[in-house]
Amino acid sequence: MEYKIIMPQLTDTMESGKIVRWLKGKGDFVEEGEPVVEVETDKAVMEVPSFKSGVLVNILAEEGEEIPVGTEIAVIETEPEKAKVEKREEKPVEKEEKGVKKVEKESEEIKVEVEEVKKIELPEGTASPAAKKTAADLGIDIKKYQEKGILPTPAHEKDVRELYYSHFFDKKALEVIKTYNLSLEEVVKSLKKEKITKKDVENYIVENNIPQIVPVSDIQKRAIENLKKSLEIPVYHIYEEIKTGNLPEIEGITLTTWLIKILGDTMQNHYRTRARIEGDVYKVYPNSNVCVAVAIDEELFMPVVKNVNRKNLRQIAEDLKTLKDKASNRKLTVDDLSGSTFSISNLGMFNILSFDAIIPPGRVGIMAVGVEVKGKTKVTFSFDHRIINGREAALFVDDFKKKFTDKKYIQKLQKEAK
Amino acid sequence: MLYREALNKALDEMMEKDESVVILGEDVGFYGGNYKVTEGLYAKYGGKRVIDTPIAENSIVGTAIGMAIGGLRPVAEIMTVNFSLLAMDQIVNQLAKIRYMSGGKITLPVVVRMPQGVAKQLAAQHSQSLERIFASVPGLRVFVASDATTAYYGLKFAVSIDDPVIFLEHELLYHEKMEIEEEKNFSPYRARIKKEGDGITIVSYLKMFHDTMKAVPTVEKELGVSCEVIDLCSINPLDVSTIANSVKKTKHLVVVTEEPKTGAYADEIIYRVIEDTFYELDAPPLKICGEDVPTPYNRKLELMSIPTPEKIATEIIKWGKKHGI
Amino acid sequence: MNKSYAEQFYYLMKLGRVFELRAKEEYMKGNIGGFLHLAIGEEAVHVGAVLGFGKGDIFVHYREHVYALARGMEPKNVMAELFGKVTGVSKGKGGSMHLYDPKFNFYGGNAIVGAHLPHAVGTAYARKYLGDTTGVLAAFGDGATNSGNFFEAINLAATWKVPVLFLCENNYYAIGTRIDRASPFTDLYIKAKEYMPVKQVDGMDVFAVFEAVREAKEYIETEGKPYFIEALTYRYEPHSMSDTGDYRSPRELKIAKERDPIEHLKRVGIERGLLTEEYINFVDNKVEQIVEEAVRFALESPEPGEEELYNDVFCEVCTDVIS
Repeated sequence: MEYKIIMPQLTDTMESGKIVRWLKGKGDFVEEGEPVVEVETDKAVMEVPSFKSGVLVNILAEEGEEIPVGTEIAVIETEPEKAKVEKREEKPVEKEEKGVKKVEKESEEIKVEVEEVKKIELPEGTASPAAKKTAADLGIDIKKYQEKGILPTPAHEKDVRELYYSHFFDKKALEVIKTYNLSLEEVVKSLKKEKITKKDVENYIVENNIPQIVPVSDIQKRAIENLKKSLEIPVYHIYEEIKTGNLPEIEGITLTTWLIKILGDTMQNHYRTRARIEGDVYKVYPNSNVCVAVAIDEELFMPVVKNVNRKNLRQIAEDLKTLKDKASNRKLTVDDLSGSTFSISNLGMFNILSFDAIIPPGRVGIMAVGVEVKGKTKVTFSFDHRIINGREAALFVDDFKKKFTDKKYIQKLQKEAK
Repeated sequence: MLYREALNKALDEMMEKDESVVILGEDVGFYGGNYKVTEGLYAKYGGKRVIDTPIAENSIVGTAIGMAIGGLRPVAEIMTVNFSLLAMDQIVNQLAKIRYMSGGKITLPVVVRMPQGVAKQLAAQHSQSLERIFASVPGLRVFVASDATTAYYGLKFAVSIDDPVIFLEHELLYHEKMEIEEEKNFSPYRARIKKEGDGITIVSYLKMFHDTMKAVPTVEKELGVSCEVIDLCSINPLDVSTIANSVKKTKHLVVVTEEPKTGAYADEIIYRVIEDTFYELDAPPLKICGEDVPTPYNRKLELMSIPTPEKIATEIIKWGKKHGI
Repeated sequence: MNKSYAEQFYYLMKLGRVFELRAKEEYMKGNIGGFLHLAIGEEAVHVGAVLGFGKGDIFVHYREHVYALARGMEPKNVMAELFGKVTGVSKGKGGSMHLYDPKFNFYGGNAIVGAHLPHAVGTAYARKYLGDTTGVLAAFGDGATNSGNFFEAINLAATWKVPVLFLCENNYYAIGTRIDRASPFTDLYIKAKEYMPVKQVDGMDVFAVFEAVREAKEYIETEGKPYFIEALTYRYEPHSMSDTGDYRSPRELKIAKERDPIEHLKRVGIERGLLTEEYINFVDNKVEQIVEEAVRFALESPEPGEEELYNDVFCEVCTDVIS
């Protein structure tokens, strides 16, 4: 029986082996387990045994040849009487070709079968994947709009959506949308119209009762904070009427100017109206500093006219004008807004008969002035009870009121103002 | 209740229910556990079920494997994840592979519990987060417990299943006060949406989950969008669909983990989610991790080496502004 | 010693030898891949230990074909495992180094030197805890006695007082490093003698191994404590198929082979009237047939299906997984 010796796999990584030396020649008898040939593997030179006893009848590979694992390299006849030693030259050539070819073939490029897949089409341009996907869905050419500067680079999904939906609106409609901070997409989906005008948007706003978003300015935020502090003040009111009809008309001198001056002079005789409470102490200031509520557009300022006791009506009027200008131009400084102990708020010019006002923090009190009716004007004083009690306040108000009927005093003020 | 008490309760209930449940590890018995997780169990169940071992991490896991083969359900405690490196052969070569190599003939219901992460000034050899290593080994379930609820239900679940589970806790959570929220049909395989939102999806677990929750109000205020915060109970398997569905809604993904950034498990989360959501993303995902340094001893440097609520908020806000949120 | 044991020894040792020689041939043909570690020359230890140990759990190393066959695993299923076929004992997923079958209390087949020693200790603990006093056998080579696994395991077994029989097969070589280059002494039982009773036996004599293991088994089960046996043996083949084995001289090999365990068994068996020429001839023919049949079975068996790739990673009822 023929037993074929093959190029063995001798290591876990071996793919082919090189015939180093035949240890047996043709016609030799080989014992089971006896080495027949030396083979060089990827790791070492190893001996290859025969697993059967018999006569080596044919050698199919030359020394030095590289043979793939599994290829026949020799034939053993296990029944020696049948042994017929073949000529060596015949087969090796064929084997060589076969062997070499096989090695080369295996190193050729690999073949794979891939099933059909649909390509994902996306527009050109620099944008997030989400933006591109949305642009593809909505038919927006990102690159084109980026070249025109209409879309930012990189573009995000929000940008693409806004651009797409903005096409539904005319220019004026877009302005309204912006003012009301509306979602373009929502408006389009709600109105279901190809071309949306300003009128459409305004109707949409009314229909849906959409508020306009007006930001709270930093100044207003501070005012709100101050008003909250005012609530901590224990307050009481004194209601009076003063004879403003007696005051002479002087060009450039308003009723407010008169009130500031007379209030400031009165404060000189009542030290508590020039005081401030700070922890355990009262700080009493020598001068009468009066602040006046000034409304510019929708904002409220409380600039301070300083040293009223040492100024005449003209000087006060000038101070007032400067402060109002600064307020209009938002140029008031911290200094312009601080240092007063008493305030005046005049709503007389709006035909208000009478009202009371909230004491700004840090002030002793505030005087709320209504409209002059038949030479008389209603005033409401608010006082901080921590600084001044009812009796003191009553004396102060009475003193103030009397000054309007003090002809000598009024004439003096009039004279100084010229 | 403390986080560690939730773990103790889980162990106690499982031991009460099933006599084949045993605990083994260094100091777990007579001493009561170095983090007191096994406190009281030695007195209640005795040294045969709460087994003190020598300092031999490899054999703690190795004998646990043998116990499982012999019919028990061992819960091995490795004092900290840092020492698990001594048991890596048993965990990676044995625990994870024997079932597969035996063609399914052998099951190993073993839980290996251990805390990880940066605590306070324990220096480089006691401050690691190694979830990436365990999560990358096929054949291991890897659970993480961020709070008392997942600690309690997660550990009970881990003990009850027949698969090997690496159960990761965090050193700084042990003494945190929290309550177990009742959950029906708890499964660690489902990620928990702990806060809903529609602007940014933030994924985290263990201590970083708590730090993320602290950072979220500031992020929401600064960026003007709401955050959806997802807490993971398992990192292998990873509940990709819950995260991906959230990202499809928010279009933004942030992952926060404590481990050093190179080769972080965070990368795996991000990649797996991107596979599903690439065309839904409106910004590249943001990964917030620890620095690539051995954890320093000095407290200031230590805090610099890991994410903190402030760093998480700052990074998300910066990223959000850059990418048009 | 009765006749039946001697006959079993001869059958199993001869089966092991023929099986492994054939495996070597099939490896060279490329039918078996990876690493193939042959135990030719060590059969007396493997067969003697399995039969001497009898009932109980067995944990062995990666040179374990003869252990598995002696334990009762079907040669065709073991051969199919070597061929990587689905009919293999581990469905073709373990290979030569990972033969498992809980039916035979046979737990591998471990390819990390010494890693199975703590497993044996743990299993012994579990059996004891569950009220079963049967011992556990852990077999390992000389190389393993230098590893941490070994020292951790003997320390634990002695501390916990569990019935583990540590069987060290000292074949003098850890791959190509001779024992005296890796250990301060070559009598390896010295390493365990402070922990447990120890014994050294001639591993080329199956009778000696059998008796020593049987006595040790009785000790561990009655005392509930571990025991250590060192069996001196020799592997004829290189460490694995990829190893040239040229670190050993032909003379050394020749001397070892003169003490061939199968030849020794034949001679002593006939001398003592435990074996007959007739029985030996019968077995020689029989195992050739069995191995031939095993190879045919392995060749004809299908490969694992693609679905097998993900099977058995986790237990099925535990995979309630969303991903």
